[in-house]
Amino acid sequence: MSYARRALVVAWKDLLVERRSKETLNALLFFSLLLLFVFQLALGPDRERLASVLPGLLWIGFILSGLLALGRTFLLEREHDCWEGLLLAPGDKSAIYLGKLAGNLVVMVAVEALVLALFVLFFNIDITGALPGLALVIGLGTIGLAAVGTLFAAMTAHLRARELLFPVLFLPMEVPVLLGTVQATEALFLGEPLSAVSHWLQLLLAADVIYLTAGILTFDFILEG
Amino acid sequence: MPDNWGFVIAAYLLAAAAFGLYWRRLCRRERALRAARAARPGAR
Amino acid sequence: MTRILGWLAAAGLAAGLVMAFAVAPREATQGNVQRIMYVHVPAVLVAYLAFGVVFVGSIAYLWKRAEAADRVARACAEVGLLFLGVSIATGSIWGKPTWGTWWTWDARITSVTIVFVIFLGYLLLRGMTEDPERGARYAAVLGILGALNIPLVHQSVNWWRTLHQPASMLKAGGITMPASILVPVLVNVAAFALLCAYFVVKRVRLLEAEREALA
Repeated sequence: MSYARRALVVAWKDLLVERRSKETLNALLFFSLLLLFVFQLALGPDRERLASVLPGLLWIGFILSGLLALGRTFLLEREHDCWEGLLLAPGDKSAIYLGKLAGNLVVMVAVEALVLALFVLFFNIDITGALPGLALVIGLGTIGLAAVGTLFAAMTAHLRARELLFPVLFLPMEVPVLLGTVQATEALFLGEPLSAVSHWLQLLLAADVIYLTAGILTFDFILEG
Repeated sequence: MPDNWGFVIAAYLLAAAAFGLYWRRLCRRERALRAARAARPGAR
Repeated sequence: MTRILGWLAAAGLAAGLVMAFAVAPREATQGNVQRIMYVHVPAVLVAYLAFGVVFVGSIAYLWKRAEAADRVARACAEVGLLFLGVSIATGSIWGKPTWGTWWTWDARITSVTIVFVIFLGYLLLRGMTEDPERGARYAAVLGILGALNIPLVHQSVNWWRTLHQPASMLKAGGITMPASILVPVLVNVAAFALLCAYFVVKRVRLLEAEREALA
C-alpha cells in the first residue's frame, strides 16, 4: 500500500466509525449551539458591542469545539484496545498522523461551517462578499489547529491527566494561529479585500507548514509506546 | 523624571531572591540525595 | 569544575552590579529606573538562549537517543523559565513608574509571556509522565515544537500590537545604544550566561544523581 493510501485508510476508518456512531459530531454540534447561547447571555443584547467582538467569539467557538474534537482523536483506539492495531500498521507511522489529521479536519470543518451559519443567522451579519476569503482563513486556521492538536492528542492519550494537560499544552501553542485568524476575520467582516490581510495569511501558512512538518517528523517518536 | 530608587532596588532584590532560592533548592536536593545514598551503602 | 563555574558567575555578577550602578550613567529621560534594564534585558536574552539549547538537545535526544541530551534539555528548560520569570517580573517593576501600569498587553511582554507559558507546559508534561523514557520522548517533541513556535509568536503578537520601545540591541540597522549603556548590558549578559551555565550544569548533575539513585 502506498503512503497516501495508508493515510486515507486511517481517515476512512475514523470517518466510517463516526458516521455509524455519530458520537462526536452530534455532541459537538449541540455544544456549539450552546456556546452561542452562552455568548449571547454573557454579553447581553447590545448589538453594537456584539458586532465588535464577533470575530473573536467566532474563533473562541471554533477553538473550544476543536479542543473537544481533537482531544478525542485517539480515544477510540485507547478505549477499545486498538492501539496495538494502529502500531502494527506497516510502513512509516506518519501516515497514521496524516490520516488522523484528515479525519479531524473533516469533522472540524463540518462543525465550523454550522457554527458560522448559526452566527450569520443569530447575529444577523452579512458575509456573502467575504465568504471566499473567510473560507481561506478558516481553512488555514483549521489546519494549524488540527496539526498541533492531533500530535498533542497522541502525546496526552496515555497520561492520567490528559483532559487537563491537552488544553494546557495546546492553547499557548496556538496563539499565532488564533491571532492571525481573528485579525484576518475581523478585517474581512469589515469588508476589506483579501489583499489587506495577506501578511496574516502568510503567517498562517508558515504556521501550518511548520506544524505539519514537525508533526510528520516527530509523530513516530510519540507512537512508539 | 523622578528616580524611583525603590523600584530599582525592588527589581534587583527580586532577581537576587529568585536566583538565590533556586540555587539553594538545587544544593538542598543534592545534599538530600547524597544523604539518602549514604544511608543505604549496599545500593552502589 | 562546577565550583569554578559558580565562582566565575559570582564574579561576573559582582562586576555586572558595579557596571550597572557605578559605571553606567543616569539615563537622561527615564532616570535611574533605567538601571533595571541591566537585569531585565540579559535575563530574557539568556532565557531564549537556554530555550535554543532545549531545541537542539531535544533533536539530539530523538535522533541519537542520548539520555545526556535529554537531561541537558530538561535542565535548560527549567533554568530558562527561571530567567524568563525574572525578566518578566523586573520588566513589570520597570513598567509601573515608566508606563504607569504594572501590566500592559504590549507586543513583547505578551509574546515573552506566551513563550513562558509554553515552556511551563513542557515542565508540566515532564512532571505528569510516570515512565521517564516516554516522558523524555514526549517532552522532546514539545520542546522542538515550542522552540519553533517562538518566531511565530513574536511575529504575530508584533503585528497585533506595538507599544514597547523598539528593541535597541537586536535590530537590522545595528546597535543604537550608546557605549556607556551597551557595555554594562554586555557585561551583565556575560554574567547571566555564566550563571545560567552554572545552574544548568548543577541541574544536570542532580538529574544524573537522581537517575542513579533510582536505578
